[in-house]
Formats: sequence, structure tokens, C-alpha cells
Amino acid sequence: MSRVDRREFLKLIGAGSVGTGAGFMLAESIKHPVEYLIPYPVPPEEFSPGIATWYNSVCGMCSAGCGISVRTREGRAKKIEGNPSHPVNQGRLCALGQAGLQVLYNPDRLTAPMLQNGDRGSDEFVEITWDDGLSRAAERLNAARERGGGIYFLSQGVRGHLANLFELFMGELTGEPGSARLLHYDFTHPHALYAANKRLFGETHLPYYDIGNSRYLLSFGADYLTDWLSPVHHSLGFGQSRQGNAGVRGRCVQIEPRMSLSGAAADEWIPARPGTEGYLALSIAHRLVAEGTYRGGDLDAWRAALADYAPERVAEPTGVPEETIARLAREFARAEPGLAIGGGSAAAHTNGVDTLIAVNVLNYLAGNIGKPGGIVFNPDPVTGGSSVDRQANYRAMQSLVENARQGNIDVLIVNNTNPVFTLPAASGFRDALASIPTIVSLSSFMDETTILADVMLPSHTFLESWGDDMPEPGVGFSVGAISQPVVAPLYKTRATGDIVLGLAGKLGFAESLPWASMEDFLKAGWRQIYARGAGESTDFDAFWRDVIVAGVWGENLRRNDNKVIDTSVIEGIGMPAPRFAGDNDTYPFILHPYLTTALHDGRSANLPWMQELPDPMTGIVYGSWVEINPVTASEMGFEDGDVVTVTSAQGSIEAPVLTFPAIMPGVVAMPIGQGHHALGRYARNRGTNPIEILAPETEPASGSLATSATRVALAATGRRAAPVKTGGESRQLGRGIVQSTGGHSGSAGHSARLNSIPIVVEST
Amino acid sequence: MNVSIVPTLKVLKPAARIVLVALVGIAAGYFANAAFFPGTSPEQPIAFSHRIHAGDNEIPCLYCHVQARRSISAGVPSLSKCMGCHAEVAADRPQVRLLASYWENKEPIAWIKVHDLPDFVHFTHKRHVAAGIECQTCHGPVETMEVVSREAPVKMGLCLNCHRENEVQHGTDCWTCHK
Repeated sequence: MSRVDRREFLKLIGAGSVGTGAGFMLAESIKHPVEYLIPYPVPPEEFSPGIATWYNSVCGMCSAGCGISVRTREGRAKKIEGNPSHPVNQGRLCALGQAGLQVLYNPDRLTAPMLQNGDRGSDEFVEITWDDGLSRAAERLNAARERGGGIYFLSQGVRGHLANLFELFMGELTGEPGSARLLHYDFTHPHALYAANKRLFGETHLPYYDIGNSRYLLSFGADYLTDWLSPVHHSLGFGQSRQGNAGVRGRCVQIEPRMSLSGAAADEWIPARPGTEGYLALSIAHRLVAEGTYRGGDLDAWRAALADYAPERVAEPTGVPEETIARLAREFARAEPGLAIGGGSAAAHTNGVDTLIAVNVLNYLAGNIGKPGGIVFNPDPVTGGSSVDRQANYRAMQSLVENARQGNIDVLIVNNTNPVFTLPAASGFRDALASIPTIVSLSSFMDETTILADVMLPSHTFLESWGDDMPEPGVGFSVGAISQPVVAPLYKTRATGDIVLGLAGKLGFAESLPWASMEDFLKAGWRQIYARGAGESTDFDAFWRDVIVAGVWGENLRRNDNKVIDTSVIEGIGMPAPRFAGDNDTYPFILHPYLTTALHDGRSANLPWMQELPDPMTGIVYGSWVEINPVTASEMGFEDGDVVTVTSAQGSIEAPVLTFPAIMPGVVAMPIGQGHHALGRYARNRGTNPIEILAPETEPASGSLATSATRVALAATGRRAAPVKTGGESRQLGRGIVQSTGGHSGSAGHSARLNSIPIVVEST
Repeated sequence: MNVSIVPTLKVLKPAARIVLVALVGIAAGYFANAAFFPGTSPEQPIAFSHRIHAGDNEIPCLYCHVQARRSISAGVPSLSKCMGCHAEVAADRPQVRLLASYWENKEPIAWIKVHDLPDFVHFTHKRHVAAGIECQTCHGPVETMEVVSREAPVKMGLCLNCHRENEVQHGTDCWTCHK
């Protein structure tokens, strides 16, 4: 060892001290972080740390109205499951419902009332107090009332007592009860189905389609497992029809131009030309009458009405062979009972209502009305009123736009609906907002519509609010469910009902809307339901508690009335040819926009779980894509991942190509939901929105937007962007696994035609 | 051509000594921290004595930690539980007055955890209490402690030894605790 000189000594001292310090810090850094145990000063009743409490409530993610049970621990919502007692979902819940937690805990929620501080759309907001926000809104409402100006209330579709509260509020505000200035707007609202049921059966409400007890389900475009009316309930019904009925396995036939999840789950998938689904239905009806299956009255009228729809005449326009039609008619007639449903793209053409009437005619002729396994009519909702007639169709939205342009609207109140995103650009909605001096938004998120508002009064999420719901369509008997707050509010937001009551207070409506809170209003409403029949409850408080604990209330009053269709109605049955916007040569493809479980109408694009949920048919996560038949793609020289422009007469968008074997040549499909330029970090700048380029074609009988009636052209951009997929190969390649399309032994012609598009059809 | 590492080592020789001293320093610092600042008996907002409550007055553990037999967490008594006795008992002591001031303000007390398992360990008090395990097995003789400190090393070895000795079914499966 060499001698230590002074310099060396200092070096060693330095090294030693630095080392000691480092060692000390090392030990400090690997210590357990300090954690706290913070007991309640006074614990809530029945509270135990570490033990979950479950609260029953109502799902608010789509309009089906499933019952949910939310698991909470230490006051935080942890998991959402289906409420087993609720007749709609019976303990089940879809992926979107599960993701309700990400609405509650979303980092992009609006957390407090705000005021637009710059120009609209400038994204500059200042936080204000609730009192200030309500006063400002009330002040402008008052000013508008004094001038006799227009005040419009545009809400997402709500039901139950909240809808009644809106009615009272708008009645008071505009001085005319039942004011037409109260609109509910949902992109997915089935206007055509309501119109068809009204015309054929005279019913205001949708009937219950009893898929579970049917033996043969003929679905015309209704993707009942994904988005049609009440998908969780239909999934249960599908399971029961397939495996739950002793001794018989229900058959399912899906008729649609692009295979949906329901098409993949069906025994047989039949692509009929878009817009001709109704011809097919009437042709089957023709056979039912001709072969004597129909045993009711008005036989001559039926013969006359259906004369033009013999299978040999319908085969040509629909592209479905004559013998297939005859076979479907035979199978449907033989089934005890069969059920025909219609929706989705079949209802979204310019002849949608006629198509759905034709579908209902099948049920009528086969004698499926008012029977298990057929169509069962629902009793009226117990809340006294219904918001169904409040649903704004495209025509109503257009008149709103027209009124705004002419300066007839002074104040627009928007509640959690996003027409800027869910109306085509051609509607002019976005630009019309510029002509409205004051826009008040009650939405929970900064979506494309709310970003243009002047005053934001953000509402609670459904997990923090009081409310109730009467599912529509119901399940054949009266059902009501109370939605209770399962957690304390996370931010300085308020329940929609409380905001409306707060505004009413500022406006001096204390006499007509005397309730202190939504909870009070709800209780007052449920006192009337209690008066109808309380069951085993001794008094109202016990009844209220019982309903909240159970999460659902029901009344076993069923209607099993049959209907007799009037002769004049029979004479009006027929199918007009579908119209498509754009000429054949410039725009050779029909655009088929479709809804997905994950993103619904685009409202859930801000939920990472939904972005990450692989699309059931393609396995794609995130982003948008254009589905093209492989034969068409190869003719046009497109490969998977080529970015193409999709151009309609109204505009153009870009998306990568996905060759999809189960789509008709001549049709291109795009999922709805992406393409946001607001709605938070997870939704923004991802994919494209096919609604944007839709032509403003309407279905004349229902006034709804014909979303499948737009023709488009495709053009290569030369760029590539492969969609992110979870699976590699979508075909079986002879491995005989995951067979999704069952053929039918008697459908040789059909299979041969399908083979022209490369999809494997094997007998099951 | 000869290649030798000797010239390199010669340069490193004085450096080696410095590195060695630094390493010794690190070890010393590490153990000094562990010995003098173990953090196993942190200072609590109220100087609560388990010796007085559980030792002198022989209050059973489960009287206050009432959740232990029915929940994964043993739970800390709520302020209302403390005040149940202390509204009358020893109400003039300074620490009890401090407790009363929390109670008057309805302000929760932020106790610092002494026994804390990492988040990747699933432990449930309920099962262990039901199996008749003494609290002291893991928590040490708390009834003798003025200030609670972590005496038993609540590490994986302790769990596994006990599970082996008592022949717990699936007691040594990974997923029993790490789930």
C-alpha cells in the first residue's frame, strides 16, 4: 500500500463522505412510502373499510335503460355490473355499460361552471361560481322572454321524471305547455320504427320483440346484438332462442348488405341490395298469403296489395334468388312462432318506414301479434307522459337550423347532446349556431357542441345523479327504475334536474316548480306510482327504500291484445324504390355507416376502454377504416392499409382500406364514432366521422335522416396507414375453426353466389 | 505484439482505493440509516398508547379494531368510537383534549401506517382472525408498546413459514397472496 499524502487523504475523505451520504439516501429511497389510515369521524351506517357496498342504479351509457349494480369501496365506485333483478338486462351488461366508470373518472370532465372568454371555439374559458352561472343564464333567458324571443331546449333523449321536469320548465319558460321548443335529439333514435308501428298498429310506443321465445328470427338489417334498441336484452333473447328452449334450437337469418355481429352470429346471412329489404319482406308475405299460411280476414285486399311482389319479380331487384325467398317464406311460416324484425341500415333508406311496415306485415300474416315469441305491445309508461314524441327527427333539426338562421332563436340550452358531431355537415347546424346569441350547455364534457357554448353549467354523470327511467321499448310490462347517486360528486358539477330547478329558481318559477332538488321532484313523482300499488311496502318511505334497494319496480300488467289491420292500411302497403344521393357514375358506391357497441354514436370515443375494445368483426382498435369487398378492392387496386378519400357530393374524408369479405360489392362500410375534434384527449384527432359527408336525404314518412342513402366515390391518396388490429388472419384458411357463417343445405344457389365473394360457407 | 493490462491497472490503483472507501461509506450510510432512522415507529398525530389501552386496561384488540374479523382491513376506530369512552374517561389529559378538539371540528385523524404491506400483496385480516392467529404474531407485543413499532419483519418469509408450519391449503401458492 502506498503512502497516503495530503492530497490522497482529502480524496479519500471526500469519497468516504459522498459514499456515506449516498448509502443513507439509498436506504431512505427504498423505504416504504408513508401511508395514512384515516378513519371517519362518524362512520356511515353499515360501513366497513375493506368491504364493498353495492348500489343499484340505471345505466346511462345508451338509451336501453339497463339496471346496474355498482360496487363501491370507501366511497369510490370500483366496478359496474348488471342488476340481476332488472328485467331488461337480468344481471348482464355490455362493454359500454362497464365503461361507465371511465365517464365518472374521465380526466376531461368539465369540473365547474365556466364562461366562454374569447370567441366561440377559441377554447378560452374562465371558471365562475354556480350562482354567477345560473344568474347569467337566467338573465339572458329573461331578456329573451321579455323581447318575446325564441328559447330552445335541446337535450339528449331522457325519459322518466327528468323528461317531465323539462316539460314543466319549458312550459313555464315559453308560456305554452307542450312547447315545440323542447327537443330531444339522439342520432340513434329509431324514428322510422316508431312511424311504422304507428301506421300499422296505431301504437305510440315500441312493442316488445320477444326474441327469446321465437323459433325463427328473420332480421332485416337490425343488428340486434350490437346497437338495435336494447342489445343486452336481445343478446339474452338470442341465447334463450338458441339454447334455452327445450328441444328446439332457434334459427336466425340476417338480411343486410354488410355482415354485422348479428349477421355473423346468424345461421344464414343474406346480402340483399341496399334499400330493397322491404321488397324481400313483401315477397315472403306474398308467399305466406299464397300458400294459405295467413288465416285472417281481408284476404283479397292482401292479395291485391302483395300482387306485385311474387318472388320471381323480386329476385331481380333484390339480388336474392327466387328459391331462397320461397324457402325463407316456408321456414318462417313453419316456425312456431317466427319473428321478423327490421332496423339498422334497412330502416335508414329513403323508404325505411315502408320497409319496416313490410317487416311488420310478416309478423301480422304469420299470426305473431300479442303472442310469446312474437310482438307484444307495451303498456304506457307509468310516469304519465313520454318523451318519445319529443324526439327531434332530421326535419325538426332542420327547422331549428332555419329558425336560428332567421334570428328567431335568442337562447339555446343544450343538454348532453352533440348535434355538431352527429348531424351531417350539410345540415348547416354548426354554422347556424353562430346566429344564436346565447348558448347554454349543461353537458358533462367539452364536446363539439359545448365548445361553442357561452355559459357552461356542467351536469353530473349518471353515477352521481338522482333520476329514474322507464325503459323504451319495455319488456312487455311496466318497468321503472330509480337511478341513485352511487358516489358523492367528484367535482363542482350538479345534477341536470338540479340545474334546471336552479334556473327555475332564478327565473322566479317557485310557484310552478316548487321542488328544492331533483330528489324531491322524483319522490313526488314516485308517490303517484306508489299510489298505483305499493306491493308489500307499508308506507311510501318503505316503498321508496324498497325500490332503491331493488333498483327496479315492475307491474305485472301485460297486454296480449291482437291487432286487426285496417283495410285502408293494407291498401297503402307497398315499396317505393330507394333514392340515393349522388349519381351512379361519379359516385359508384353506396356508403353504409354503422354503429358499434364501443363508440355508439360517438359519445363514448373519449373512453380509453372503448377505444381499445377490438371491433368484433374486424379486430381493429382505435381509428377509422373503410370496408370494401376484396373483389372490388382488387379491381380498384386497393390493398389493406391504403389510405383512400371517401367523397360524397357533400364532402370528403380519408380512411385506410380494409378488405372485408362479408360486404356486397358496390357497398362500402364505415364505423361511426371517431373523427372528433373535441371531447377530450382520448377522442380528439383520431379517425374520421362518416356522418360528416352524409347527404341530407330524409325518409319522408318519419322525417329521419336516411343515413344509408349516400353515394360515394373512392380515390387513392398514395399514402398508407394500416389500421391497428388485434388479429392477423380473418379467414379460416381451411382450418375449420371459428366458423361464423352457417350455410343451409338447401341453398346451393345462394352459396354459389356467396363464393363469388371469397367467404367460406360451410354447413353446420 | 504483447498486450498487457498492467499499465492500465497501475493507473487504476489509486482510484481503486477511492472506490473501496466510497463503497465502505455507502454501506456505513445504509446501515446507519437503517439503525438510527428505521421509520418503524413514526410519530403519530396523537400520542396514543397501546400499552395503556391494551396492556393496563386489557381492552381486547377487536374491541377497537372491530373490522378485523369481517373485513380484509382491520380498520382504525372512528373518532366517535374513541369519544364513546373519552367523553368521560381521562377527559382532562392533554392528548385526550387534543382528541376532543379533532372531534369538535369533525376533522379526521391522519394516522400513519406502521404495518403496511405493499399493494401487490393480498392479505385479509378476516381469514387470519378466523383461523385463530393471535394479532401479536404479526404485529408484535403491541400491548407493551407505548408507541407502536414494527417489530416482527412482516415480509414474505414470515408469511410462508407460518403457512408451511400450519399446513395451510394452497398456502405457498403464488396466487394465494399475489393476485
